[in-house]
Amino acid sequence: MMKLENPKVQVQQSFLRFVSDVKQGKYHGSLEVTRKTVDLLKSLIVDGEFTNAQGMMSTIRTHGSFLHKSLPHYASVGNMARRVLKIVREEYAVGRKNKSEEMDPQESLHKIVTSVDSGEDYSSPLPDLKLSVLDHISEFEMELETSIDNIAQQAQEHIHSNELILTLGTSKVVESFLRKAAAHRKFDVIVVDCGPLGKGHELAVSLAKSKINTTVIGDNAIFGIMSRVNKVIIGTHTVMANGGLRALSSCHTVALAAKHCSVPVMVLAPLYKLTPQYLCSYDQDAFNSYVAPDGVLDFSDHSTLSQIKRYCPVFDYVPPELVTLFISNTGGHAPSYVYRLLSELYHPDDYEI
Amino acid sequence: MDIEAGEIFCKILQEEHDVSAGIAAIRTLLNFLEKDDSKTMQELDNKLSKAIAVMRKTDHPVTSVASATELFQRFITLTSLDTPSFDDCKKSMLKRGKLFLNKLNESRDKVAKTAAPFIVDGCKILTHSKSRVVLQTMKEAAKANKRFTVYVTYSSPDESGKLMCAELEAANIPCTLILDSAMGYVLEQVDMVMVGAEGVVESGGIINKVGSYSMAICAKELKKPFYVLTESFKFVRIYPLNQQNLPKEFKYSASKLQKDLSKEHPMVDYTPPAYITLLFTDLGILTPSAVSDELIKLYL
Repeated sequence: MMKLENPKVQVQQSFLRFVSDVKQGKYHGSLEVTRKTVDLLKSLIVDGEFTNAQGMMSTIRTHGSFLHKSLPHYASVGNMARRVLKIVREEYAVGRKNKSEEMDPQESLHKIVTSVDSGEDYSSPLPDLKLSVLDHISEFEMELETSIDNIAQQAQEHIHSNELILTLGTSKVVESFLRKAAAHRKFDVIVVDCGPLGKGHELAVSLAKSKINTTVIGDNAIFGIMSRVNKVIIGTHTVMANGGLRALSSCHTVALAAKHCSVPVMVLAPLYKLTPQYLCSYDQDAFNSYVAPDGVLDFSDHSTLSQIKRYCPVFDYVPPELVTLFISNTGGHAPSYVYRLLSELYHPDDYEI
Repeated sequence: MDIEAGEIFCKILQEEHDVSAGIAAIRTLLNFLEKDDSKTMQELDNKLSKAIAVMRKTDHPVTSVASATELFQRFITLTSLDTPSFDDCKKSMLKRGKLFLNKLNESRDKVAKTAAPFIVDGCKILTHSKSRVVLQTMKEAAKANKRFTVYVTYSSPDESGKLMCAELEAANIPCTLILDSAMGYVLEQVDMVMVGAEGVVESGGIINKVGSYSMAICAKELKKPFYVLTESFKFVRIYPLNQQNLPKEFKYSASKLQKDLSKEHPMVDYTPPAYITLLFTDLGILTPSAVSDELIKLYL
């Protein structure tokens, strides 16, 4: 695909503002960021003058890759660009009504054997393309809006009476999942505080308000309490292509303790969190991000500050073998099935954005 | 005609060191197809089967020949379904055969491109025996100015590790030859294991040079990722349950099959999928469970 020399020149003002807003923490939660990304990409299509799908795709790609590079830790931003590209591809195929309309875009042994060439250049003009793409995106936005609800609907299948559930930090999806289950069953919840970033106590307060028996524990008590827990239910920041997680730090601790005590770990992950990226190396700087470490040790502690180093990493990588089940808006999936979901969600040419 | 197939096959392997046995088998069969004068599909099929049997009796690694020829037969069947008359069919077979071979020839480059980013600056890699895909991936990474070191096992009995080491040194990649028995010793300093494969079976496990299984067990115990780099034509439709269950013709070269097998060393072993972190193929990066998906898509 076309790569512009200096993408910043081409990128619209609204995108630049969005990036700076996200960096300043004006959005709360990944869903809000994701929704805004789709909005921006949609406005790109509405305002743009395109003669064919190729032009539309290259504009989306330029802006998508700008967002992805500016916000490398928000995988869902890049995912949305990939998803919109896939929508354009699909609508183009439908519009053309060519033989390959139902063709699987993935490389497969079957394709090698039948020697079909899937070379499609998306250059034929289609007058209705814009409208149909916008329709399709609206459908997709609906899916985004309802994703948390859809996950919560499955709560009763996973949480049973008198169980002891462990969760950590704050997560909107975990909160609504537990609330939904509490409407029908009685169970206890332990929330790991996950300081300084996790704010588990906030989740605990909100759960207690909806009359769920809740206990807050510190990170140091995770292993001690695990033997009594029936299930671990957590949210995640991103699901990597191999089924591993990029999640709030101390998730790895919880997952390891759960493995040791043979407690199932369920991860609530709406589909927009699935990314086709892999973790290449465990000590890669690009994987993690670090924030101001005043939560670890306060700035007012002058006397010791000069003598020690303080770090506050945001994420943990949790390997796929520690996850029992992913619960997405379309149902439950094993970590080994993630590759299949990815091939349904994105086109392989868009993996590298 | 069949004998000729065997000769062509051996000639390709002798003259071109860069060609894997599977590709050589397919080239032989395409060559066979060009000269063939069969009048019906069945006749052609019988002749092909005979030619394949001859190739499997030569003293070359049988696993990838088995998978590649099976793929070829599937190719013939699928092509014959598309065209009504035998003459048309033959024309389209030859035409598609070229495309087919081209795709297979490209596959090694594709694997190298997908796997090379996993080699990061300063890492140490352990590899077993000699694999053309692993070699190309390492060259690709070196071309991208990554600095890394490689440990290569001698891999008895054919000591193919020596060749691998020489080729790596020629590409200016620092490498150390180690004893097969030093696998466990070296592993603790290593960041990842990268091996090739002679065949990938339906469970997602691999068949590879004997010693790969031991290496995989060691890597699992020391929690190091075990990566397999392989082309997709090596996917083979068998489901071994254990080492004993692996077909004898895969384990022993044709000339040894007549001897007392309890006194012979197997050439390959089977590594179950539980020990494999990821498979890098020309179809993309796969988890072991994705392999059966691919095979089902093709043969169902």
